[in-house]
Amino acid sequence: MEYFAWVEATSFSTWMRESGPAFFSSLILHSVAMGFVVGVHVATDLRILGVASRIPLSLMKRFFPVLWVSLVAVALSGVLLLAAYPAKALTNPLFYFKLAAVLAALCITQSLTHQLLEDAGYDDRLAPGKARFLAALSLLLWAAAITSGRLLAYTHSVMMASHVV
Amino acid sequence: MEAFLSFSQNTGIHAFMHSAWGWPFVESLHFVGLSLLIGTVGVFDLRMIGLARGIPMNALHRLVPWGVAGYGLNVLTGFMFVSSVPDQYLFNPAFQTKLALMGIAGINVLLFYRFAFRPVKAAGADAVAPRTARIMAAVSLTCWTGVIVCGRLITYFRPPYHWCFWC
Repeated sequence: MEYFAWVEATSFSTWMRESGPAFFSSLILHSVAMGFVVGVHVATDLRILGVASRIPLSLMKRFFPVLWVSLVAVALSGVLLLAAYPAKALTNPLFYFKLAAVLAALCITQSLTHQLLEDAGYDDRLAPGKARFLAALSLLLWAAAITSGRLLAYTHSVMMASHVV
Repeated sequence: MEAFLSFSQNTGIHAFMHSAWGWPFVESLHFVGLSLLIGTVGVFDLRMIGLARGIPMNALHRLVPWGVAGYGLNVLTGFMFVSSVPDQYLFNPAFQTKLALMGIAGINVLLFYRFAFRPVKAAGADAVAPRTARIMAAVSLTCWTGVIVCGRLITYFRPPYHWCFWC
């Protein structure tokens, strides 16, 4: 808690909190980039599940640069939002659930990329049951990450550490 | 505004949205809907602009019904926000801009299917969309990104302190 209070007292953290443009541009970047991170996953997972089956599955990788650039933007803006209110998220168990959901979803992406997307043999064949299960799980994890992210605004027990210590 | 509010109160939307988890739950659905729209319409737009050549645009277009579902979800959940606290939205410059961008995106969709879709549908796997379709794809991406930006800015402008940019 002292460490959070120390971060909050830095001039950067204060600026992130008190400057409307700084805080809101981070929030906006986090949302827009999230849309593209989850969006590319939606497209790829739906395709694995059998929607739009005439898309050559291995070529979905060509959308991944959008995914990775957006993911960097999400992480960066996330760190900026954390800098503004470190205790608010880091004392909330739900924040760790959100991180775990995102990490698990990204592990699934890696696994599906290796198993499926790098093999052009699945371009015109239905993906195996296990892969379809993972794609469905991926969609579920992203929905869970979105929901827990949204709930962070409502479930924090501490807004600022400096108000507690 | 009164009509919105009384509709919301009579249908129980107002009570639900002001219950403990109503508002956050509907917000989460709104973000899920956004992701469905970007993931299908946005991805199709990116392809028309020239990304991921090799994927036939016709095949990718099969994802679009899921985007329409996301759009429907967001119109519904959006209506639940607006009708529950109409004064926070109707006079809010961010919300007004958001509606205007949705209007432009809507007209863009109509023009696209009327004038530009046929050659896109017939184009080969490695083709780039014709110029008209590329412009419309860029308009679509810009509008929907702008819609997210404005949606996020709604809480930045809280009436009555900020009525609108031009007042």
